[in-house]
Amino acid sequence: MGPFGTPWMTFAAWIVTGCSVLLSILWAVRSSRGEGDDR
Amino acid sequence: MSPSAVYGLVLALYMGMLVAVGWVTSRRMRGDEDYYLGGRTIGPWVTSLSYVAAYFSSVVIIGGGGFGYRYGMATLWIGAINVLVGCTLAWIVLGRRIREFTGRLAVMTVPGFLAERYRSREARFLAALVVALFLIVYNVGILKGMGHVFEVLMGMPYWVGVLVSGAIIVVYVSLGGYLAVVWTGFLQAWVMGAGLILLTVGALKAVGGLTAANAALASVNPELIRTPGPWGWAGLISFTFVFSFGVWGMPQLVVRFYSIRSVRLLRVGTVVATIGGSMAVLPYLVGAIARVLHPDLANPDLAIPTLTKHVLSPWGGAIFLAGVIAAGMSTFASILIITSGAVVRDVVQKGLGRRLSDRSAVRASRSVSIAVGLVSVAIAIRPPDLILVLTAFSWAAIAATCLWPLLLGLYVRWVTRAGAVASMIAGLVTALVWTGIGSPFGVHGFIPGMAASLAALVTVSRATPRLPEHHLERVFSGEA
Repeated sequence: MGPFGTPWMTFAAWIVTGCSVLLSILWAVRSSRGEGDDR
Repeated sequence: MSPSAVYGLVLALYMGMLVAVGWVTSRRMRGDEDYYLGGRTIGPWVTSLSYVAAYFSSVVIIGGGGFGYRYGMATLWIGAINVLVGCTLAWIVLGRRIREFTGRLAVMTVPGFLAERYRSREARFLAALVVALFLIVYNVGILKGMGHVFEVLMGMPYWVGVLVSGAIIVVYVSLGGYLAVVWTGFLQAWVMGAGLILLTVGALKAVGGLTAANAALASVNPELIRTPGPWGWAGLISFTFVFSFGVWGMPQLVVRFYSIRSVRLLRVGTVVATIGGSMAVLPYLVGAIARVLHPDLANPDLAIPTLTKHVLSPWGGAIFLAGVIAAGMSTFASILIITSGAVVRDVVQKGLGRRLSDRSAVRASRSVSIAVGLVSVAIAIRPPDLILVLTAFSWAAIAATCLWPLLLGLYVRWVTRAGAVASMIAGLVTALVWTGIGSPFGVHGFIPGMAASLAALVTVSRATPRLPEHHLERVFSGEA
């Protein structure tokens, strides 16, 4: 059983949501470094 | 002040604000590019939050709550994959290319893009027809959700709720076009977020926290906290897939990428859309909690309106009500713009070759927006049951028709004109037939529709001549 009495398989939905936010930030940072001043 | 008076006051203020936005933006309208795309001058915050508002309509909030109520915590996965695939990956994979390609080809609509990309009138007509027809079906689902909310929270007859919401949307869209849609969408996303957070906090407080909610649900049926839960893998995966990946082929969302001011701004937009989209998880959670607090509801779609009435103060309830109405309105408004674009721009101007001045094109687009809005309201007054199924049906048809030719048209050169058209027909027919025969094995029509569409695209493209190199150069690099 995972946090808050949630089975891990169900709790993973929250983890995926958090990872999506992280992915979007990493992608934005990486693409701004790689592409500089494109329009 | 009575709860109904509070709701009425908050809603009147809110709707007055929307009409004011429509009036202000109408003064910036000069031509059809302003009506359909806001002159391609929209910033990242407005673009991304209006994307979120259009994505998560009242159908998702009310219908999602219904699914959480019926199938339990496993439905959190629908929200989570909505965020990952429908927001983050959609912006990363589609955003940049769509903005570049549509700017280069000077197109304003999804049917317009398919027509120019594949040099195909058939693709334009088919896409315009499917988009106009099935988005009206989707509109009916949205209005139905709003009607239910008015009914439960304000004690108004269902048809009055449908009529009031429909009329306000038609007014501000016909006045301000796309600019009104994105600016109201931007404001509506904040109202939706505030409403959903208030309701979630209220529901968790009422049930005694998430641990207590899980324990109570497990005592009703242990499957309600497990994945895939009572729904089973087939139902859960296919619904998750259609409401996440299906978004990639939905014109009212994809058009946001056409209109952003520059490619560079997509970076900020991706982060904002993902964070804003995270609210998608909440209706499923709240719906599951409603199963504990109100176990005997006759209709699962009433889970969220009923919970709102019981766990929020009249002012909190009024904000949530405004949030749900906002969610529906933003999606409905986007659809009015898209359908008027499909009819006026793709069928009348490009398809039938009718020349219209900028003023006439805007006037015609306004008339079509009003007509589509009124037809949707008329159908919604006596609609079929269960909102999400109805909506998923229209999403399946549109996405199965447009998604592969749109997505692959941005990345590969080998798709031929015949391949694109065959893909659209195969996807549409398969999705409709599959749904018509009762969705065998619990699999949503979108899945076989997408498989057939891809198979037809690959097979026919292999067997038919490629598009000329100079055309592909113009599409992919702007050089001919």
